[in-house]
Amino acid sequence: MFKKFAVALSVCWLLTLAGPGSAAAQDAKYHEAPALAELVKAGKLPPVEQRLPEQPLVVPVVEKIGEYGGVWRRAFLGPADANNYVRVVYDGLFRFSPDGAQIEPKLARSATSSPDFKVWTIELRKGSRWSDGAPFTADDIIFWYKDVITNRDLTPSLPTWMSNSDGSAAKVEKIDDTTVRFTYDRPATLFLSELANQDGPDQSFAMFLPAHYLKQFHPAHTKMEDLDRLAQAASFKSWTQLFAAKATPASNPERPTMAAWLPVSRISDPVFTIRRNPYYIGVDPAGNQLPYVDEVRFTYFADQQALNLAAIAGDFDMQARHIQMTNYPVLKEQEKNGKYRVLIWPTFGGSDAIVAINSTYTADPVLGRLLATKDFRVALSYAINRDEIRESAFLGLGEARQPVPAPGHPYFPGAEWATKYTEFNPDLANKMLDALGLTKRDADGTRLMENGKPLMVEINVVPAFGAWPDVGQLIARDWQAVGIKAVVQIRERALALTMRVANQLQTEVWNEDTTAFPFTGNSKLDMRNGPVQQLTVGPLYYKWLTTNGKEGVEPTEPLKRIMQLIDTARSVGQDGQVAAARELFQIWADNVYEIGTVGLTPMVQGVVVVNTKMHNVPTTLSNDWPLRTPGNARTEQFFFAK
Amino acid sequence: MTRYIVQRLLLLPFLLLVYSFVIFAIIHAPPGDFLTSYVANLASSGSTITAEQLNALRHEYGLDQPFVVQYLYWLRDLLHGNLGLSLEYQRPNADLIREQLGMTVALAAMAFVLTWLIAVPVGIYSATHQRSVLDHIFTVINYVGVATPNFMLALILMWLAFAYFGLSITGLFSPAYADAPWSMARVVDLLEHIWLPALVLGIGGTARLARIMRANLLDELNKPYVVTARAKGMREWRLVLRYPVRLALNPLISTIGWYLPQLFSGSLIVATVMNLPNIGPLLLRALVSQDMYLAGGILLIYSFLTIVGTLLSDIALAMMDPRIRMET
Repeated sequence: MFKKFAVALSVCWLLTLAGPGSAAAQDAKYHEAPALAELVKAGKLPPVEQRLPEQPLVVPVVEKIGEYGGVWRRAFLGPADANNYVRVVYDGLFRFSPDGAQIEPKLARSATSSPDFKVWTIELRKGSRWSDGAPFTADDIIFWYKDVITNRDLTPSLPTWMSNSDGSAAKVEKIDDTTVRFTYDRPATLFLSELANQDGPDQSFAMFLPAHYLKQFHPAHTKMEDLDRLAQAASFKSWTQLFAAKATPASNPERPTMAAWLPVSRISDPVFTIRRNPYYIGVDPAGNQLPYVDEVRFTYFADQQALNLAAIAGDFDMQARHIQMTNYPVLKEQEKNGKYRVLIWPTFGGSDAIVAINSTYTADPVLGRLLATKDFRVALSYAINRDEIRESAFLGLGEARQPVPAPGHPYFPGAEWATKYTEFNPDLANKMLDALGLTKRDADGTRLMENGKPLMVEINVVPAFGAWPDVGQLIARDWQAVGIKAVVQIRERALALTMRVANQLQTEVWNEDTTAFPFTGNSKLDMRNGPVQQLTVGPLYYKWLTTNGKEGVEPTEPLKRIMQLIDTARSVGQDGQVAAARELFQIWADNVYEIGTVGLTPMVQGVVVVNTKMHNVPTTLSNDWPLRTPGNARTEQFFFAK
Repeated sequence: MTRYIVQRLLLLPFLLLVYSFVIFAIIHAPPGDFLTSYVANLASSGSTITAEQLNALRHEYGLDQPFVVQYLYWLRDLLHGNLGLSLEYQRPNADLIREQLGMTVALAAMAFVLTWLIAVPVGIYSATHQRSVLDHIFTVINYVGVATPNFMLALILMWLAFAYFGLSITGLFSPAYADAPWSMARVVDLLEHIWLPALVLGIGGTARLARIMRANLLDELNKPYVVTARAKGMREWRLVLRYPVRLALNPLISTIGWYLPQLFSGSLIVATVMNLPNIGPLLLRALVSQDMYLAGGILLIYSFLTIVGTLLSDIALAMMDPRIRMET
C-alpha cells in the first residue's frame, strides 16, 4: 500500500517536472556525447543548446538512431592522399545526397536564386560556430572572397565558376551576419553543384574560411615583415605558402573547422587523427548531436598492397579507398569470419576502361589521319571482345558500354547510345577497314597503310588501377585479329602524362569517370580543359583553342557542338541541362573519341569493407569524386553497435 | 694515424659536394617533376587541377627554372644547413627526416646486433666442426638465407601470420600505441613488435656473414702458427678465439662501412612491405612523387653515412689488426 503510494507520488513529481516548463522541455531536446557532457559539467564547454545553431541540420539515419562512441579505423597513403580526409568529412555549405541526384544544404541553411539565375542568396545557420566556438558568419565567406579568391598571389587565376562572362569576378556581398549574395552578369544555373564541391579538395581553399584565425597570416590584416618572419621560421619561401599551409585543416590542427570531426594531428604524421567537433551543426532526428563516432584514425601505409592485406585482415571499420577490386574474391572469402561485410558501390556511370584515341596525332601523319577518321575508330570498337574483358579483367562484374552516364541518371542518353558499337563483330570491323582502303597486307597479315608501311598502333597503359594492363593486352590481341599490329606500352604515370601533353601518345587506356558531371568540375569531355585533365582525345585541339587558332588543330564540328552545349547548360534551367547533356552524350558515343569497354563495376573505390559492428552505412550508394563518396553517405550518422 | 683521419675528414666536404650534384642529377633524370606526379596522382583519385593552377604552382616551387639554377638554389640552402621544404608534406625536410631517424637507427642497430650475435658463433662453429651434421644444417639455412630477398621473407612471414593466426604483423606498434606519447608501456609494445622486422632485415646479412666467417676461419685453422700453438699444448677454444678468429674477423670489419648505409637503404622495401615507420618508405615515397628536395636530403645523408662508415671501419680495422697501418 505504502509502496504504491510512493510510486504514484514519484510519478506525479516526474510529471510536474516535465509538464509545465516549456522552456525546460526546449532545453532537453538536444543530447550530446557522454565525453562532451562531462566537459559541460566541468564548465569547460557551453551546454549543447548553446553550441548548436538555432536550426541545426537534421541528418536522417540509414537504419536507426545510433549510439555514441568508437574509433573508426581507416588507412591512407600519405600527404598526397589528403582527399581521403576530404571525402570522409565532406565539409561543404551544400552536399550531394546519397543517390547523387540532389544537392542538400549542409553548413548553409538554404540558397535561393533570382528567376534569371544571375543572383544567388545563401543563408547561413544562425548561431552556428567554428570548432573553437567562434561564430560562423557571412564574414567568413567575405574573407574568402576579398582576401583569398580575388587575391592574385593566393589565387593566380579565378576559377570559372566564380567569373562573369567577361572574366571578371562575380560580386559577393554580405547582406547581414547570416546572408551572403552572389551576383553574376550571366545566368549561373550550376551554382549549387559548384557549391557542393567548394569544400577545399586537392589542398585548395574552401569557400568559407575561419577569418578570425587566418587573418594573422594574411598581409591585408598583418604586417608583412611579421609574415616573412613566420614563413621563414617554417622554411616557407613566401607568405602565400605559409597561408596555404595554415588554411588547410589536414596540415594544421590549430585551424578551426566546421566539419563533424576536426584534425588533432597532421596528415604528414604516421597516424592522422580527427576527433569529434563539439560545435558540429548536425543532429539526428531524435536530437542527438552528431557525429556518433568519437574519432576517425587514418593509419599511414607506404604501400597499397600492405594496406590491402590489412583490409583483408579486418583492420579497418569502413574503407573503400585504395581497396583493389582484384581482392574482391579474397575479401568475400574472409567475410565468413564475421569481422566485416563487403559492399559494392559501382562507379557512377562512364566506363571503367576506355581507349582514348588521339585525333590530332602528327608524329606519323598517315597514321594520324586514320586515328582522326570516325569509321576507323568505329572499326576498332567493333573489333573488341568486351565479354572476355569483363570476365578476365573485371571478375565478371559490370557491363559492356560506351562512356556515357549510368541508366537512372537524368543525363543517360538511352541504351542504344550506351551500347553503340559495343557488340563484338570482327567481320564488320574487317569490312570497315577494307572500305578505308586498308586492303593490302604483309606476310604476317598486318594491314599496310597507304604509304606501304604496316599499320601499327601503340596502346599506352598506366598500371594505376590494376586491371588496365590486362585490358590493354586483350584489346591488342583483338586488334591484331583484324590486321592491326597493336603494341601495349606500360608507362609510369608521370611519364605518360608528360607524353600526353606533348602529343606523343597514339592511344591510351584510362577510365572515363566524368560523365555524370559534364558541365562542372574539369570534365574530360570539354576540349577547353586541355590534356592535363583530359585523356589524349586531341591535345592539339586545346592548343588551337588557347592560341586563338594560331597553332594546333581546329576542333571538328561535333566537338565544337559539345562546347556549345556545355555553355548552353551553364545558363539554362534543369530541363535545358538534361536536353543538352543527352545530345552531348549521343555525340560522344557516336564519334567514339573514347572507345568504352566495360563500365558500372566497383573498380574505383567501390569495394567497401565495413565492420559488422558499424551501422548506418548504406548498402547502395552513388559513388563518384564530386559526390565525395563516402561523404555523401552522411558519415556523421555512422555508428558502432556495442 | 691521426694525420690519416684528418686527411680523410678534410676530403669529406668535397666528396659530399660531388655526391650532391650526382644525386640531384639522378633525381632530376626521370621525365616530369613533382607537379606531374602530383597531377597524375590527383587524376587517379578522380580530381583534377587546371593548367593555370599547375603553371602557377610550378613557378611558385621554382620548378620552371633550369636544372643548374635549381641545383644551385638547393646547394645554397644546404650550405646554410637548410634541407629545404618538402613539396609533398609542406614541412621542413629536416623535421621529417629527424622524426624518422630515431626509429630507423633503432631498427638498424637491432638488426646489426642480431646479425653479429648469430653469424659469428655460427661461423666459428661451422669452421671448427667442418662437415659435421650441424655444419651441414647451418650451410643449408645460410644458403637459403643468402638467396631469399628479405622482402620476400617478410611477405611469407606476414602471410603465415595472417593465414594461421589471423594477425597482421605490420607496423612497429599496436594501434593503441601508434601515436601515444613515450612511456614504459610503449617501449614494451615496441620491443614486442621490433624483433621480427629486425630479424627479417638481418637474416640476409647473417647468412652472408656466417659464410664469410666460416671460410676465413677455415683458411686460418690450417696455418702453421695454429698447428704450432696446438703442438705446444694450448687449449683448443682459447687458441681458436685468440688468434684465427681475430684474423678471420678482418674482412668482416672492413665491410662494416658498407653495412651502415645498407642497413638504412636495405630496409627500404622491407619497411614498405611491413609498413614500418622508418626512413625507407619516406625515401621511396619521395622518389615516386619526385619530391626532389626530400629525396635529395635523405640520399645525401646516406652518402654521408657511407663515407663515415668506411672511415670508421678503416679505423676499427687498424685497431683490431696491428699489422695494418695507414700510410698515404
